[in-house]
Parts: sequence; structure tokens; C-alpha cells
Amino acid sequence: MDAKLDLEIGLDQDEPRRAVEQFEQFALEHDVPMGLTFKFQLALDELLTNVVSYAFEEDAAGPVITLALRLTDDKLEALLKDNGRPFNPLRDAPAPDLDLSAEDRRVGGLGIHLTKAFVHALNYERVDGWNRLYLVQPLGAHQEDQT
Amino acid sequence: MNVETSYSGSTAVAVVDGRIDSANAKDFDEELSAIIDRGVSSLVVDCGGLNYISSAGLRVLLIAIRKTNEVGGGLALCSVPDHIREVLEVSGFVRLTKVFATADEARASFSK
Repeated sequence: MDAKLDLEIGLDQDEPRRAVEQFEQFALEHDVPMGLTFKFQLALDELLTNVVSYAFEEDAAGPVITLALRLTDDKLEALLKDNGRPFNPLRDAPAPDLDLSAEDRRVGGLGIHLTKAFVHALNYERVDGWNRLYLVQPLGAHQEDQT
Repeated sequence: MNVETSYSGSTAVAVVDGRIDSANAKDFDEELSAIIDRGVSSLVVDCGGLNYISSAGLRVLLIAIRKTNEVGGGLALCSVPDHIREVLEVSGFVRLTKVFATADEARASFSK
């Protein structure tokens, strides 16, 4: 199997949902296990929401966000690209302190924490003015122990 | 997302279904805030029909936990599907709020 789905994402706040629902449909059509689809969908949602919300100035010229998904027999891959300001969420997003009380917990930082927990491998690069986030989720031998 | 709420004194059960993400977290916040503003201090959020929640939705829950704690009550969850429970565990929310099997058990926990 070698199935692909390429999406362009706009800057509207509803766009991450539209994109991840298209991913969900794609995964459903290709019999990706539901639990894995949910986790990957959540990771894509969190990353896309960050990009849509923070990557571009209001008057940014020609913002482009693309998501390329590829499903083969042994893995699911995604490449999320944007030409916004440099931001490595894997390194630059502060980790939440999960031991704090509700009163002391910061409201942010959870999205990246969930993404790291739910995706097997994540890689960030800045190349020629583009942020490139690469996600890989092996299929088959299902990792339930990554968290 | 849809929220159906039943009230009993200062306790309420809000049955949430569908999907909560960055596109509608603001609506969810308004729903829960309106419930608390009616004088509810003990809020049960029934997640039986909830099929998706992202960090945007967790933020709203965190705010509601703080608000209900402030007025001497609290927030409890019930009927949480397994995949949503995993989100709550990974994000540490199981330490911030109690999770019950049923709405009745959650409601009873407040009357002790």
C-alpha cells in the first residue's frame, strides 16, 4: 500500500479541524486502527493549531501551510510545512509541570506534551525559510507503551 | 459539540457530546461558565458521548476546575471513553479532577 493525501491549510481557526477530519476519513478508508488514528489526529491538530495561531504576523505576506500524509504498509508519516517565523515546538515549547495543582497549572504547553506522548517519532528542521515537522507512526506492532 | 445540563440545587450534570477542539473551545467555555454563573459549585461533566478533546478543551476544563474549587465545590468527570481517558492521564488531569464510572457516583461524591 502507498496512499497519499496532500492538504493546504488556511489561517482560519477552523482549518485545523477541517484538515484533521480529512485525515481521519483517509485513515478510516485505509483501515488504520482507530486508537492510532485518534492519537495521530490529536497530534496533527495540536501542531496545526499552533501554526495557525502563532506562526504568522497578521500582515504576513503569502503565508503557506501544507500537510503531506503518506500511508504505507508499515507506517504512517506526515510532513507539516509552513513558511512562518522559525519555531521548533519540540524544543521551544515549555514543558508543563503535571504535578502542580489546578490553581498553579499553566494553561498552555499541554498540546505539545500530548503530541510528544502520542507520536512515535517527531523531527523538526528549519530549511530555506520553512519550518518542517516530520511525524512517523509505525503500524502493525502497535506501541501502546510509548506514553 | 452539544451540552445538555440538568440542575439540582448547587449541583449540575452537564452531558457533553461530540468534539471539542480549538475551533469550538470558546463555545465550550461559554457553556460551562454559564452553568457555574447560575450558582453551581459542584459540576459533573458526563463525557459518555465525547469522542474527541484536544488541549484547547482541556484548558476549558482546567478553568472550570479552578472556578468550582474557588467556590468550595469542584468538578468531576464521568463515563469517560478509554481514548479520552488516556488524554486525561497523559496530561495529568486525572490528578486535578476525579473520574467516576457514572453520573450518579460523581454526583454522590459531592454530597459527602
